[in-house]
Amino acid sequence: MNNIVKPVPCKILDVKKESKLEYTFKVESDIKPSHGQFLQLSIPKIGEAPISVSAYGDGWIDFTIRSVGKVTDEIFTKGPGDVLFLRGAYGKGWPVDKFEGKHMVVITGGTGLAPVRSMLNMFYNNPDYVKSVTLITGFKNEEGIVFKGELEKWKDKFTTFYTLDAEKKEGWNTGFVTEFVSKVDWASFDGNYETVIVGPPPMMKFTGIECSKCGVPDEKIWVSFERRMSCAVGKCGHCRIDEVYVCLEGPVFNYTQAKYLID
Amino acid sequence: MNHDIDVKKVRINCYRQSKVAGEFMLQLRVPGALIDAKYLSFVQELCEEYGNGTFHFGTRMTFDIPGIKYENIEACNKRLKEYIKDVDVEMCDVDMETIAHEPVEYDPEQGYPTIGARNIMACIGNIHCIKGNANTQELAHKIEKLIFPSHYHIKVAVAGCPNDCVKANFNDFGIMGINKMVYDYDRCIGCGACAKACQHHATGVLTLNKDGKIDKDTCCCVGCGECVIACPTSAWTRNPKKLYRVTLGGRTGKKNPRSGKLFLNWVTEDVILGMFANWQKFSAWALDYKPEYLHGGHLIDRVGYKGFVKHIFEGVEFNPEAKMADDIYWAENEQRGNMHVMPLSQHEHAGPQA
Amino acid sequence: MGYKVSFEEVNRIFDRLQGEYEIWAPKRFAGKGRYSDTDIVKYDKVSKVEEIEFKEKSDYPAKEVLSPITQSLFYFTEDEFRESKATSKKLLIFMRPCDINAQHHQEKIYLENGGFADMYYQRMNEKVKIVMMECTEGWDTCFCVSMGSNKAEDYSLAVRVGDGELMVDVKDDDFAPLFAEAAAADFKPEYIEKNQIELTIPEIPNKEVLTKLKSHPMWNEYNKRCISCGSCTVACSTCTCFSTTDVIYNENTNVGERKRTTASCQIEGFTDMAGGHVFRKTAAERMRYKVLHKFHDYKARFKDYHMCVGCGRCTSRCPEFISITATVKKMAKAIDEILAEEGK
Repeated sequence: MNNIVKPVPCKILDVKKESKLEYTFKVESDIKPSHGQFLQLSIPKIGEAPISVSAYGDGWIDFTIRSVGKVTDEIFTKGPGDVLFLRGAYGKGWPVDKFEGKHMVVITGGTGLAPVRSMLNMFYNNPDYVKSVTLITGFKNEEGIVFKGELEKWKDKFTTFYTLDAEKKEGWNTGFVTEFVSKVDWASFDGNYETVIVGPPPMMKFTGIECSKCGVPDEKIWVSFERRMSCAVGKCGHCRIDEVYVCLEGPVFNYTQAKYLID
Repeated sequence: MNHDIDVKKVRINCYRQSKVAGEFMLQLRVPGALIDAKYLSFVQELCEEYGNGTFHFGTRMTFDIPGIKYENIEACNKRLKEYIKDVDVEMCDVDMETIAHEPVEYDPEQGYPTIGARNIMACIGNIHCIKGNANTQELAHKIEKLIFPSHYHIKVAVAGCPNDCVKANFNDFGIMGINKMVYDYDRCIGCGACAKACQHHATGVLTLNKDGKIDKDTCCCVGCGECVIACPTSAWTRNPKKLYRVTLGGRTGKKNPRSGKLFLNWVTEDVILGMFANWQKFSAWALDYKPEYLHGGHLIDRVGYKGFVKHIFEGVEFNPEAKMADDIYWAENEQRGNMHVMPLSQHEHAGPQA
Repeated sequence: MGYKVSFEEVNRIFDRLQGEYEIWAPKRFAGKGRYSDTDIVKYDKVSKVEEIEFKEKSDYPAKEVLSPITQSLFYFTEDEFRESKATSKKLLIFMRPCDINAQHHQEKIYLENGGFADMYYQRMNEKVKIVMMECTEGWDTCFCVSMGSNKAEDYSLAVRVGDGELMVDVKDDDFAPLFAEAAAADFKPEYIEKNQIELTIPEIPNKEVLTKLKSHPMWNEYNKRCISCGSCTVACSTCTCFSTTDVIYNENTNVGERKRTTASCQIEGFTDMAGGHVFRKTAAERMRYKVLHKFHDYKARFKDYHMCVGCGRCTSRCPEFISITATVKKMAKAIDEILAEEGK
């Protein structure tokens, strides 16, 4: 009998400090996730947690992890050569096929940048895949900024609005991401665009409202949910909202569906 | 009116002297404080026929009938015959013809033969209360059989749990139903409800550990059962073995009131009954076989705790869980010394001064 | 084939089965109730028919046999996960029709949902043989007829208890030889056709009404009444939620186990995320979540029937006397209000 919750050991290849609390772990794995999917990552004795894929390539997967719980705290003590246990990939990721040939507006809050990072790099590396990328990225403060190198790099090809909630930083804006939604030149897209929003629940809610104010129809908005999960395979019930299991039908949802998913 | 009344004799008969000359208040025993409601109309009849038509809830859970004229006591006593038979002889299996292990003559037409052993108080206990661990009435009835009738004064109360709503702690012997709860690790879902309940209602001996299960500081557990009540899965259940805690030497009074001290913990009913079976023997010995109007606690004071223990547990076998105080140091209430009371002008005040 | 079998004969049959089967049935545990001198009836292994509680509905459901409250998934060392082992025996479980139906509802989640089959449930489920306990009277909290779960035909054996004897209907040929010497009798089990409670489950016509229902003031009552203890979901014959925990046997060793433990959406912390975000912070929201799952969401997902089987155990076990049927009736009224408002 196939045991769907049995994890496999994977070697850590590299650990990169993104910020004080966020680290990116490069793990050796043949698992082929798609953009926006997540895996169950565990350490025996400590536990298991769902972590989104922040990048992947041939034989490796990146996880950008914020140290906020006992699993992630323990993961932070690990280094290259140590073993993490993985199972997955799970869930439905970004519908990149639908995004092909369109103008993309990507709006993220905090570590919400991680689940879109691999997709943004794909857009960056395949400039013809989408027509344009507008990236609005916000962090609480300077300490919270992740993927600094990539944020700089993306400026070359994307239209970017980088902002800190309240702090001032050279070359950066100050204010919530919601304040920059109206600055996007929506009219120039001529209706041929898609919007991606990822971040903490209140950020996604208010950003969605701002987009609607700018005339963005629900069906052109895509969000990624983060919920507590124990199994990631539709058994444990923690992530269920109405008839939807975030681990199965999500974490990426179109806003036409997501707006009804009230926990 | 010109009265010639032996008030001591009347008191032994359970009639209490009134400030109104020639009047008395009868106190009817209700051991365990639960009784068939039909006796309420009987009590009403007594109040109206012999008393002054009022009724008082006795402070020791007796039916009190005030305003009985001395000359009506004889007739009133005759009416008590059935009640005493039903309640003491039938319900509690009391042998009215033995006092302090000696045969005595008992005339059922003469009312109560002694006042020494006071009515055994009890809360409603586990026949009703969701918190109760013990059937307080049943135990009270069994104790009644051992300590009544007797000329040796003793106050006993039985509480269903350590909440002690019946204030057993202020009796010579205060008994509280407790239990060594059983924990089923596999049924525990780690919700922490027991730990919260224990913290809120009791001594906070439970903690939710990092494995999502419960750790218990057994030493400080008071055996109340809040964990069982709170548990949604029956991971916590009561042990079929019913146990009791007993406090000793509590009392009210003008001379030196004090609360009781922990005397026995985790003892079975057998230990308690074995102890009470020795009470009258102990009292007789302590008072050189001459009953005095002296309450149990004072008797124990006179003999000393260690001496008391030697007599009271003669032939009593302790259950394996049982614990007993090695010694007891009672703390008398400070009211004799007036330590903390003083004219308001001498009080010291905290905070901004006027 | 029907048979009439004395308890003595049943016990001989039990003896013969013991080598191959664990026999599970509702059993009375004296003094183990929530309150002093009250009992609890829960599933346990039995070896004699007299141990089985036929007269009272079990406080806890049959699901505990297949998905125990705590079960080990893996034993691990530093770099290896080893699967826990299930019992090697088959499971013969005495269940009432509500519990049998409840297991089928659970199968949808454990074996079908998302196209993933849970190995731990599956390996137990494959061992199960059902003894249907005839149930024709029910109790005051039952509403199985309203939920369409008063009948269950897919049993190996069905029994009716009499005075020191069982009437048995043998459907499963595996068990036929055991009754070779038993007296044949004309017996087919009957089912309850009417409960004391009848419940009509309201339809929620669309997402707009669902959204309005979620924020309807009817739920606020439960902020005052519900203590979020989770007794209802533990007693529920269909709830399946669990959490996974790793434990180590000793701080100094690298061995331990990964456990699965029943979880409850009613208990605070069910949605807590590592980052500190919490969904459904109030008892009212949690109650709404549970009730809608049982009487709307599950059916919306799996299409064929509601999750609730009407066993009424949640009502029976609630220490605060919250009745699930009364709650559903309040919900029906709230939906009517919403629809009337929309119709204006």
